[in-house]
Amino acid sequence: MYNKKPGIIGHYFHEINRNPNTGTWSWFLHRIAGVVLFLYLFPHFLVTGSYFLTGSTEKFDAWTKAVQTPLFHFLEILLISAVAFHLLNGLSITIADFFLMTRKHKAIQWVSIIIFIAVMVLTVVMFVPRVLAK
Amino acid sequence: MDERVSSGGAYGWFLQRITGLFLAFFLIMHLKVLHLTSQWHLDFTVITDRLHSSGWWGIFYIFFIPIAVFHGFNGAWGVIEDYRPAKGSGKGVKALLWVVGIILCIFGYFAVNELLRKGA
Repeated sequence: MYNKKPGIIGHYFHEINRNPNTGTWSWFLHRIAGVVLFLYLFPHFLVTGSYFLTGSTEKFDAWTKAVQTPLFHFLEILLISAVAFHLLNGLSITIADFFLMTRKHKAIQWVSIIIFIAVMVLTVVMFVPRVLAK
Repeated sequence: MDERVSSGGAYGWFLQRITGLFLAFFLIMHLKVLHLTSQWHLDFTVITDRLHSSGWWGIFYIFFIPIAVFHGFNGAWGVIEDYRPAKGSGKGVKALLWVVGIILCIFGYFAVNELLRKGA
């Protein structure tokens, strides 16, 4: 049972069940955010590279406009939340690792969660008008 | 008995943290100028004006693109490694990640370079 290899998704349930602590949750969310950001790289490079690909400023404007609709501004909030969480959690891990503070990792984690919440409140306040704009 | 592919081990771990620290700086700056700005609307003129506003933007992207791509692809390798791939398939995936990552880097350089050279 213990050595049974869980599936791609089951892997996460397995780990969280086995060790349901803040560290496992932050590992899980760090992973989700990381995968989202990795996948985001490709369309982002494509849209930014549309001028290089087509040589047309009109096409570049059309492509950039297509990703600035209210729906995309809403997705942008999720994107920024992924960046903010991954960045702050990554810094927490790095501080704990490099400054030999693993015994204080929970305190560091909570500080980063509070900063994350503050960043997200500011982001949402800033983006609500863009999401609601016509 | 251990059939796991060699991971690059501590180098991968260490470089992920170093590139992560760089990205903390680069990405905050990147988000600050392009997302968390009072400028709602981005188009060719807005973007190229910004790129031409300082000679430093070219240097910024020379570092930002490969560091971001390395961090992303090294992270992807970390995810795959978590599933303990067999030695052969692990090596294949690792090689594929390197190839795609390098192509993405080169594409990114061309994309930014075109915007830097041309425009307003």
